[in-house]
Amino acid sequence: MNTLTAFTYETYWMGLRTTRRFFRVPSNWLSIIFFPLIQLLVFSQLYKDIVQLPAFGHQSYLAYLAPGQIVFASFLAVGWSGYGMLVEYRNGYLDKLRASPIARSSILAAEMVPLFFEAALMAAVLLVVSLLLGASLVTGVGGALLILAMSGLFGIAFAGVSFIAALLTKSEQAASALSLLMFPVVFISTAFVPRAVMPGWMQGVNDWNPVTFQIEAIRRLMLVGYDWSAIGKAVLSLLIVGALLQTGTLLAFRRLAR
Amino acid sequence: MSTGLRIPGPAVDATRAGRESVIEVRDLVKVYGRDTRALEGISFDVGHGELFGFLGPNGAGKTTTIRILATLLRPTSGVARVAGFDVATHPHDVRERLGLAMQTPTLDAFSTGRETLELAGRLHRLPAAKLRRRADELLELMGLSSVARKLTGTYSGGMKRRLDLASALMHDPPLLILDEPTEGLDPQSRTALWEELERICAQGTTMLLTTHYMEEADRLCSRLAIVDNGRIVVEGGPQELKETVGADSVVLQLETSDGAADDRVGAVCRRLEGFVPCEAVTPHPAGVALAVPDASAAVPQLMRRVDGDGLHITGLQMSQPSLDDVFLKYTGRHIREEAADQPIVMWG
Repeated sequence: MNTLTAFTYETYWMGLRTTRRFFRVPSNWLSIIFFPLIQLLVFSQLYKDIVQLPAFGHQSYLAYLAPGQIVFASFLAVGWSGYGMLVEYRNGYLDKLRASPIARSSILAAEMVPLFFEAALMAAVLLVVSLLLGASLVTGVGGALLILAMSGLFGIAFAGVSFIAALLTKSEQAASALSLLMFPVVFISTAFVPRAVMPGWMQGVNDWNPVTFQIEAIRRLMLVGYDWSAIGKAVLSLLIVGALLQTGTLLAFRRLAR
Repeated sequence: MSTGLRIPGPAVDATRAGRESVIEVRDLVKVYGRDTRALEGISFDVGHGELFGFLGPNGAGKTTTIRILATLLRPTSGVARVAGFDVATHPHDVRERLGLAMQTPTLDAFSTGRETLELAGRLHRLPAAKLRRRADELLELMGLSSVARKLTGTYSGGMKRRLDLASALMHDPPLLILDEPTEGLDPQSRTALWEELERICAQGTTMLLTTHYMEEADRLCSRLAIVDNGRIVVEGGPQELKETVGADSVVLQLETSDGAADDRVGAVCRRLEGFVPCEAVTPHPAGVALAVPDASAAVPQLMRRVDGDGLHITGLQMSQPSLDDVFLKYTGRHIREEAADQPIVMWG
C-alpha cells in the first residue's frame, strides 16, 4: 500500500469512528441546532417589523435571518470539536493510535474530514427548516448543494479555533472559552441586520469579517441567484482563515503527539 | 550502568541460545525535563516465548520503559530493539509487531466491542475476510460475544480490560506488552486474566509485563527483573530469586502449661539441639519462629521434638520467602511501603 492509499485508508476507518462518536451522543447535535432554530423561530416573529426600516432593503425578516442561522449552525457544529481529541489524549486512546503502525497525520485528518460533513449536515437542517417556514431558495437544488459545501468548508476552517485552544492549553475550560470568543464575531456580522443599517464602525469591521462574507454569499444564493463574486470572496476568505488555523492546529498537534 | 545481579534459570537460557532476542535493551536512560531521572541505564533481554516481568514499586521506571519500547517516548540515551528493529529509527516496524495494553484500558466509549476490534485490525492492515473471523474468535475467547454490539462505555472494568487485551491481540503480534494488567481488578477477574495470559504465552506469544503485585510476578513470569529507582536491581527466575533470600520460615504456636511460658525460646532451643541451631529460633507473639532450609521436610521432626512435656504445639505456619522478601533483601525496602498494603497477620 503506497503512502497516499495508506493515508486515505487510515483516515477513512478512523474517520468513521469519530463520526460515530459525534452522532451517538444526541445532545451533541441537538444542542448544535437548538440555538439557531430558536433564534430563527423567535426573532423572525419578534423583530419582524424591523424590515420596515428604510435602509433595510428586504421584505421578509425570516428570509433575511435564515442565512445567518445556517452559518451559525455550521459554526456551532465545530465549536467544541477539539474537545473530543483532548478527552482521548487524557484517557490514553491517542497513545494507542500513536502506537499503531499508521501515519500521525491520518489521526488528525480523521478528526477533520468528518467535521466537513457534520457542519454541512447541521447547516442542512437549518436550511430545510427555513424553507419549511417560508424562506425561499431561488437557486434550487444546485444552490442548496453549494450552500452545504460552503458550510462544510466553513466548519473545517473554523474548527481550528477549538483544536488550537484544546491542544495548546490541554484544558477543557479553555477549549470552550476560546470558542465563546467567536460569538461576538458572529453577532457583529450581517446575520441580524444589513450593513447599511449598522453604525459606521461596525460597517468597517464587516468589510473584513469572513463570517459576513459567508452569510452574504448564502443570502444571495437564497434570495437572488448565483453571485459568483460574493461566493468567491467567501470561499477565498475561508481558504485563508482555514490555512492559518489548520497550520496552527497541525503544529499544536505535533507538539502534543510527538 | 550494570544490570545488577543476574541469576540464570537453566531452561530459559537453553531456549534463548542462538536465537535473536525479541527485546534487547542496552543502557537505557530517560530524563524528563531537566532533572527527573526516570531510568538510570537499564539493560535486559527478552527471548522468544518468554513471559518476562518487571516487578517494582510505583515510580520505579516500569511504565517509562514500556512507553519507550512502545515507541511512545524517546529515550535520552541507550538503545532499545524490538523484534530486531531499533525503536528510535524504525518505529513503524516496531509498531507492526507489537500488541500493547496499557495500565487503564484505552477504549473509545462510543464504539461497540466489535467496532473496536475491527478498527484495531484495520489499523494493522488485516485483510477484510480475516478481520471478521479474528474479531469473532477473540470475542468468543474473552467471553464478550454477548456484548459485542454494546458500546464499550457500558462495559464493566473487567470487560474493558478483556476487550483491550483482545484488541492488542487482533493482529496476532509476536510481542505483547502489558502495563499493570490486573491493576484495580477484583480477585476473580484477576485470576481469570492470569489464566488467559498463561494461555496466550503457551501459544508462543512473547510477553513483557510490568506489575507491583508479587503474586502476579510469581505466578506468571518465567523470568523477572526487579526494578527500583530506575535501575534493575536483580534479575532471574522467581524461584531462583527466592532461593537467594535464604530460609523458609516456620511459626510454632505454643500453649504452655505450668510456668514454662517465660522461656519458650530457650525451651524450644534445647529440644531442637542438633537439628536447628539456636540462632534460628526467635520469639514470636504466638510462640516461636524458626528459620529452616526446607520447611516441609523439617516439620515432622519439629513436631516430634518440641511437642510434649509442658510444651504443647497448637498450630503451625509455614512460609517461603516471597518476592517482597527478595525486594527487601536487595533494596532494603518493601515493594509497597504503605502500611495499608502490608499483610495483616492475625493470631489466636
